[in-house]
Amino acid sequence: MELNGGSVVAMVGKNCVAIASDLRLGNQALTVATNFEKVFPVTDRIYLGLPGLATDVATLRERFRYRVNMYTIKEEREIEPETFAHLVSSTLYEKRFGPYFIEPVVAGLTSPERGSKPFIAATDLIGCLNFAKDFVVCGTASSKLFGVAEGLWEPDLEPDELFETISQTLLNAVDRDAFSGWGAIVHVITPEKVVTRTLKGRMD
Amino acid sequence: MAQQRSFNPYTENGGTILAIAGADFAVVAGDTRQTEGYSIQTRYAPKVFRLTDKAVLAVNGFAADGNMFVKKVKQRLEWYKHAHSKDMPLQSIARLIQTMLYAKRFFPYYVYNILGGIDEQGKGAVYSFDPVGSYERETCRAAGAAQSLVQPFLDNQIYFKNQTGEHPTHLPLPHVLQLVTDSFTGATERHIEVGDGLEMFVILARGRGSQELEGVAGIREVTTSDERERVFVINRDLKRD
Amino acid sequence: MECSFALTGKGYVLIAADMTSARSIVKMKHDEDKVKPLGPHLLMTYSGEPGDTVQFAEYVERNLRLYQIRNHSVLRPHSAASWIRRTLADSLRSRSPYSVNLLVGGYDVSEHEPHLYWIDYLGTMATVPFAAHGYGSYFALSLLDRYHNPSASLEEGIETLKRCIDEVQKRLIIGLGKFKVRVVDKDGVREIEI
Repeated sequence: MELNGGSVVAMVGKNCVAIASDLRLGNQALTVATNFEKVFPVTDRIYLGLPGLATDVATLRERFRYRVNMYTIKEEREIEPETFAHLVSSTLYEKRFGPYFIEPVVAGLTSPERGSKPFIAATDLIGCLNFAKDFVVCGTASSKLFGVAEGLWEPDLEPDELFETISQTLLNAVDRDAFSGWGAIVHVITPEKVVTRTLKGRMD
Repeated sequence: MAQQRSFNPYTENGGTILAIAGADFAVVAGDTRQTEGYSIQTRYAPKVFRLTDKAVLAVNGFAADGNMFVKKVKQRLEWYKHAHSKDMPLQSIARLIQTMLYAKRFFPYYVYNILGGIDEQGKGAVYSFDPVGSYERETCRAAGAAQSLVQPFLDNQIYFKNQTGEHPTHLPLPHVLQLVTDSFTGATERHIEVGDGLEMFVILARGRGSQELEGVAGIREVTTSDERERVFVINRDLKRD
Repeated sequence: MECSFALTGKGYVLIAADMTSARSIVKMKHDEDKVKPLGPHLLMTYSGEPGDTVQFAEYVERNLRLYQIRNHSVLRPHSAASWIRRTLADSLRSRSPYSVNLLVGGYDVSEHEPHLYWIDYLGTMATVPFAAHGYGSYFALSLLDRYHNPSASLEEGIETLKRCIDEVQKRLIIGLGKFKVRVVDKDGVREIEI
């Protein structure tokens, strides 16, 4: 985890969810790139955060795109976030004794037929699922993210309030972490649309 | 075959401490849980100590070293009082703590110290130390097991980091007490070594009114002499799981 | 002690690599070319474990050529870099992984833009405006932070690249000798004498 650095956080709001990551890619203490996103769209309303070893970020992103496409073709419908979380879990557990060094975070809304309910989940590197009702954090700044999120988050935040909460949580947490930071990207998912914003952060 | 045995003179007893300086007050707080490994040794072991009516010291890390260190600091302050017929000024206590810590540079007290109180100008002050005596005056500081959880929250809420617009340099006392309580409930929620009880010391500058503290639950005054700085203790419950 | 740099500019990517091949304390060669053209508009530097480097570079070169023959079209820089990255990532978890670090630079003839990719032996890939591998990166990246300009002309780009090379020659304890410099732009790949 400390080889490349990086952190991801996801939060639940009122009929919305948000997921955010920092933008640093490092090689131990050396920063190689400051445009390395760790959150990727899975469907129009599900996003996946992949903090951890950067080679596995790219590989897992490719694998999940393939597996979700196969699911969509076979089932002739979009995958539900719960189902996708289990897909993530089993994909990681397949490599139980030679794992991908990634701690994924899933954030999304259930399908409109099922009420567009907010959903977030995180797993460890071998796929142990954690369905949280409030927020999940992963990556090198996880302990800092826990502290700030625990102080700032509250139930039933509107999309704009949720955006402010997750942004402040991430920025202040990564500023105390040497392996994360150099800007951030935030996605706020509502039933109507996804709003993506790139944040400026401290560049040290 | 000869066996190598070694005695480890240190352990880590968990817990977290925190101090915030206001314009004319200071708040120094700590939780009261003491742990070793996954065991809770006691649910009430104070980590914050009144040194004088204007100085409060919080110690965190190895509890035995912490208690011994506080004992020695208190002894030095008593000698000072007998020699000079007054309490030692806060900045002098800070320098005293540095020399006492550095004196044990090669067998350190395994503790992080935070000193809070009122300086000679009547302003709130916080000094934070590392185990060998490096120190710095600051507005706020967290230390201990949940430092990584609390400090970034304080950066945001006390220093207004990553926030735009105009901001006050000092916050009002009730607001500070609320932030301290929130920091510790948050740390208790996510850190297994933090919990059981919260002990907050409030030091008010000379002549400052104490109206804001009236009606605060679990408060008690521990000032020793009149017409000077006043010290209060607030005890709160934290989750015990 | 191997060292390679690359930077993008207005319509081009400049790529440079040192030309020494050393075993232990001995310089075995001082005219080794470690910048391989992979196609009409694609360049790659390679460094790392001797043996792996040339083997892997030629494997990549032949596979990209095979794709070109089969499909009558050349892979665009991003697709080529992605394929190379995936090859390294799969190799990492195989019985004998390649230890090769790469810089892949190319000019995309369909969108008329230069692209540069930083790839290491783990299969980490980053899309970057400038990049470096080896000890040189500790000098060059800070210089490039200061002097890199994405819309610089080729002459200005070469000047910036020279700064990096000069700094490494000055401050690295071992001199690296000559550098091979190549550029890729809309006209294809060519060598530059510096």
